[in-house]
Amino acid sequence: MKKAIIILTIVALIAPMALFAQGSKEASGPITIKFWTHEDVNRNPLELQYIAEFEAANPNVKVEYTTQASGKMADIVQTAFAANQGPTIFNLPISDEYAYIVNGRVAPVDAKAAGYADYQAIKSAYVDGTLDSVTVDGKIYGLPLELTNWAILLNKGIFRDAGLDPNKDYPKTWEDMVAVSEKIIQRDGDIITRRGFDFRYGYYLEWLVPMVEQLGGKLISDDGKTAIVGDDAWLKVLTFMQQWGPNGKNLGSSTYTAARKLFNKNNGDIAMALTGYYQTARISEENPEFYASGDLMVIPFPQFKDAVKEVANCYYGHFYMVNAQASKAEQEAAWKLIGYLLSHGDEYLDKAALPQPTKKLFESPEYKAKPYTDVFSADMEKAHIMYYSENSAEMQKLLKSAVESVMLSGVSPEKALATLKASAQELIDEN
Amino acid sequence: MKKTTYRGIEKKQARWGVAFVVPSVLFFCLFSFYPIINAMFTSLFDKRILSLAAPKFLGLGNYIYIFKSASFWNSMRATLVFTLGTFIPLLVFSLMFATFIYNICGRRSRGFFQIAYYTPAVLSSVVAAAIWLLILAPPGLGNQVLNWLCRTPGVDRKWLANGTMLQFSTMLVYFWKYIGYFVILFITGLATIPPTIYEAATIDGSSKWQSFWRITVPLLKPTILLVSVMAMLQCLKTFSTQYLFTQSGGAAQDPINVITLNIYETGIRNQRIGRASAMSIVLFVIMLVLTFAQFKISKSDDVDY
Repeated sequence: MKKAIIILTIVALIAPMALFAQGSKEASGPITIKFWTHEDVNRNPLELQYIAEFEAANPNVKVEYTTQASGKMADIVQTAFAANQGPTIFNLPISDEYAYIVNGRVAPVDAKAAGYADYQAIKSAYVDGTLDSVTVDGKIYGLPLELTNWAILLNKGIFRDAGLDPNKDYPKTWEDMVAVSEKIIQRDGDIITRRGFDFRYGYYLEWLVPMVEQLGGKLISDDGKTAIVGDDAWLKVLTFMQQWGPNGKNLGSSTYTAARKLFNKNNGDIAMALTGYYQTARISEENPEFYASGDLMVIPFPQFKDAVKEVANCYYGHFYMVNAQASKAEQEAAWKLIGYLLSHGDEYLDKAALPQPTKKLFESPEYKAKPYTDVFSADMEKAHIMYYSENSAEMQKLLKSAVESVMLSGVSPEKALATLKASAQELIDEN
Repeated sequence: MKKTTYRGIEKKQARWGVAFVVPSVLFFCLFSFYPIINAMFTSLFDKRILSLAAPKFLGLGNYIYIFKSASFWNSMRATLVFTLGTFIPLLVFSLMFATFIYNICGRRSRGFFQIAYYTPAVLSSVVAAAIWLLILAPPGLGNQVLNWLCRTPGVDRKWLANGTMLQFSTMLVYFWKYIGYFVILFITGLATIPPTIYEAATIDGSSKWQSFWRITVPLLKPTILLVSVMAMLQCLKTFSTQYLFTQSGGAAQDPINVITLNIYETGIRNQRIGRASAMSIVLFVIMLVLTFAQFKISKSDDVDY
């Protein structure tokens, strides 16, 4: 009996290892591509249509297209990769994707399969610098689905309702933003019922870092050895956030519904939201009346009055990448599909408001003639790509903790900065 | 000469017993024992979740790191505060409600109360947290109802925006969700106490209060132990409420960064699965020690009838 139990235990312990172990695959016969991407009400139908066309032209390829909420994508993809069950094609923001490149989890672009002669042809097709974040040791590991920066979407109707002229009174500086928000905001006692503007909480690498940079601070020093450079700049931004929150001027907080979600509804809840060009297509889809009303306006990312440098919101890329553990045949088919999808850059722009940073598109009169692209393009000139590294997620979390502690937990900006400095330094020292 | 072996009926029955137990043993090995052993092994390495390279052996390096980490000790504090703040009220109020339902109500109303208390336990933790997020948001029902009751219009209780209130809010959700489950366990325990004991006590002049303390509580000890161990383990493992509050509710993470949430952040978001495994082993040891201590304490004054 004891023997039986021992054998049974050993089998039970070894079985999972056999079940979960998996090396790289070599496919034969029909090819199945698992394609995981985030939900986008405008882009997903478009891609399904291209996939159907691709499958018709390549009958040996079957594409399983799966969409997930964008906030969940990073966890889902990573968990799948950890179990060696990652999708063949996926996309994430570059801050999440970079770890896949440095850990050898994604395959370099197969230039020929993607429709290019070689890497030089790919580089020539895209706006200078846009592939830098996915280029390691001369190899390109992803092709951009979109290159996005955020500006401020403004609802003119709410401005007028608050007695403001949106064309003259829109906020140019962060100090203006506070003053304008104080004029627009409506409260029932302490509870806000209408906000002027609110930040995009949780995405601090994208908008908090440029605010600090406007004042001369930096996230990481140029030599990459020191974290959180320029105490005065960081202190001013943390104090600004403290004053913005419920324990200061009570102009907004992360505990209210996300500004960009309310903005589309145009139901008098919020006048301004920080978001990308893609939001215009979502408004057009979700609330065509508002889109057509002429009350939608886009303004540049504000600067501090005493800014020493003009810096706009960081831009980020979503790159399509291919799993290095997929078979060669699957990788080739995957790059062929990606090449086919991205060859429709004009339609991604038209139907989903997703600008792919090809020279052809960015320099086209059609792109320049699109409403609001002028503001986003001008801001992009003043911006740089967001911080990306293997530890981006940890850095994002440290910034989140610092902002939350001053806004919500009553921690002084000085103490929050000291904690942030120590943790961020430890993080970059560890890597 | 051939040796005759005699197999008794007990041994034959035992074979069937083994056959019935094997599936659950296999299940336990696959989904509990193997992950524990794996986590113990992984905790000794600097393993990154995406890395295909052989992880570097650190020995107890991950344990030394976490015991020096302010974030880990904050998580221990958050877990302890949450466990004490939830487990004790859960135990006390579930016993109170169970006694109330069992003794005061008729059969019909007893069924009604049982269903009413138990309903939240049927909901998934994620759904429960999502419902409470709507209630506790600044313009939500929580502020509205309290302001109406207290005649304090426009006051924001900062359920999610103040560290202390945030901790209380997570306790409230957990209490609401699990109280019914433990009430049912206590009612089952109460049903096992022979009514003749109460009858004899009543004849001897015992009041209800005296009967509760001298009969109900001592004879309910096995159930109290079961409920206290289960409630404590549940509280130590709390995750989804804190996760939803911080991810979807915009609440600050530090006040409610319980150890399971820290394990998730470290292992999944920060990709340091070795360090996260060390944390999970520490949590496992804490749970083991506390459970053992509870059993030891309860054995010291066993009551029988």
